[in-house]
Amino acid sequence: MGSMLGDWPSCDPHNFSKLRRADPSIPSRMMPATYHRTHSRTLPPPDQVITTEAKNILLRHIYRSAEEENDLRPKRAATKHLIPEHGCKQPRATSY
Amino acid sequence: MFRRNNIASRIFQRQIYTPAPGTSVYCARRFYENLVPSCTIYDVECPDQSFRKFTDDGQYLISFSRNQQDLVVYRPTWLSFSCKEEDCDAHDLPPKAKRFESFFTHLYSVSLASCNGNELICKDFFLYVESNQYGIIATSTPSIHDAAANGAAIQGVPYVEKLTFHLIRLEDGVILDVKVFHNDFVNLTHNMGVFLYDDLLAIASLRNQTIHILQIRDSGNLVDVRAIGAFCREDDELFLNSNAQCIAFPDKSKLHQLPGNNVQNGTHLSQPNQEDSLLSGIKQRLLSFIFQGISNEEKDPALRAQWLKKKFYFRFQDYVDLIIWKVQFLDRQHLLIKFGSVDGGVSRNADQHTAFLAVYNMETTEIVAFYQNSAEELYLLFERFCDHFHTASKNSVSMNFVSSHSNNIHALEQIRSVKSKASSQFMKKMLGSLPYSCQSLSPSPYFDQSLFRFDEKLISASDRPRQSTDHPIKFILRRQPCSLKFKIKLGPEAGNADGRTKKIASFLFHPFLPLALSIQQTLFLQQPSVVNIHFRG
Repeated sequence: MGSMLGDWPSCDPHNFSKLRRADPSIPSRMMPATYHRTHSRTLPPPDQVITTEAKNILLRHIYRSAEEENDLRPKRAATKHLIPEHGCKQPRATSY
Repeated sequence: MFRRNNIASRIFQRQIYTPAPGTSVYCARRFYENLVPSCTIYDVECPDQSFRKFTDDGQYLISFSRNQQDLVVYRPTWLSFSCKEEDCDAHDLPPKAKRFESFFTHLYSVSLASCNGNELICKDFFLYVESNQYGIIATSTPSIHDAAANGAAIQGVPYVEKLTFHLIRLEDGVILDVKVFHNDFVNLTHNMGVFLYDDLLAIASLRNQTIHILQIRDSGNLVDVRAIGAFCREDDELFLNSNAQCIAFPDKSKLHQLPGNNVQNGTHLSQPNQEDSLLSGIKQRLLSFIFQGISNEEKDPALRAQWLKKKFYFRFQDYVDLIIWKVQFLDRQHLLIKFGSVDGGVSRNADQHTAFLAVYNMETTEIVAFYQNSAEELYLLFERFCDHFHTASKNSVSMNFVSSHSNNIHALEQIRSVKSKASSQFMKKMLGSLPYSCQSLSPSPYFDQSLFRFDEKLISASDRPRQSTDHPIKFILRRQPCSLKFKIKLGPEAGNADGRTKKIASFLFHPFLPLALSIQQTLFLQQPSVVNIHFRG
């Protein structure tokens, strides 16, 4: 196994000489370590199926506000849950 | 972004640049800045008919005969004539080109209303099923006012003896199916009482307080799906009738319960033939939803009864007296229903009456939400998601790109500036347009607010007639250099001699050709209407 950059053309062939390994059996320290996960928190559930939401966004908002009222949470002002999730989005002055 | 004005440069540029993702329709539309209906033929000699609209795919021009008995269908075409001389631009159109027939080819006429049955076509009503090129036209007998209520009918609402909806294949004028209503009333002015979404039709019967859902099959049949009103599910009537037969005598203990206590949606026993029977159907759903909502507002169980007395029972009769005014689809399962008092249902100034909007799920037969027509929460939803109230069919490409304040920054700035001046009245006025009437907006690119600026009081995408003006209606380019691109003028330069006669004007714009008709009518006089053709010369 050749070195990673040793065979590529270069103005000075000695530039990458440090990377050249004479003995391929010596494990290279430059090789990045493979990541092994130590937890399974981020695994998707084995039966997960990703599909398109059947309800459009207007109906999702209507259902969400109806569920919040039914949960008997303290009443909030109507504007709060209608603030966009990405608060930084602003309408552009010029279109497309 | 710098954009060239010259059409040839734009075409060269189109060869090189691909539009940003999701903007191909808008980018193609920009060519309409260069192709404008700048020529006008005034007072074209045309058949004395009532021109209704261009279909949304631009294939047909629908009109009704003056006696309101025939449907007349034209195919929009284009001028074709050649000039053999060298300098053709200096020549005007030859007289034979300045005719109605040069632009429209008569396809057929179909008689829909019979002479002896005193039925007439409702000339304000037309719906188009774009996927199959079917048209829906209504004929009715004259409406009878001050009719006494009988049975399930509401007093105070007029009725017609016979109302017929015709499903017509516009390709050849064949009547495929009809749906007839007897002793009923549906408000057909500007498509108000009927809503078409994909292949589903919702007809709001005001007199019998029922929402009829029909499906338009590809074969051309109108099939009943359900009738929402006294019953919610398709088999409710069967269930109640079979129970009524089993129960010999009414259960007196149940009669003393107030209907509002029936919080379990869908489980109730009622004897349908008794005068003081429990409320059923959508009225029961509505009242139990209102009851639950008001009950949830008071956290302390000890105070809840008092709270309910004040907020619910005190107004109970007002809630019971609410009637369905108008309906639209939000999607295939959900309806947006407007409820109000009997007075407002048929009056012209419905805005002044208090009304409520409810979202109803047809599959689960539950009311999902209930708002007053001035609710801020509903207005915010309307401002952000207006396009989802304008439910356009997936099959209709053009109708998905109509400018609204949810998809266009200029329209949004306009309503926000009006809102900042008079907030609460403005909200109520804007929400007064809900539920929307179906197919009431023109998909013409000339009404795209990103391309052109125009006076919305004089002309807009809505097909409602407006007060006519002698001044030309200007369409000004929205982006720099903000130049005047074309004008729509209703009369020749000389103007009209009698300036005091009130005139109304209506505009029919073709969905994609630079072609428009403007029709000026004199009110209260039997003069024929004046038709002008605006086209790109």
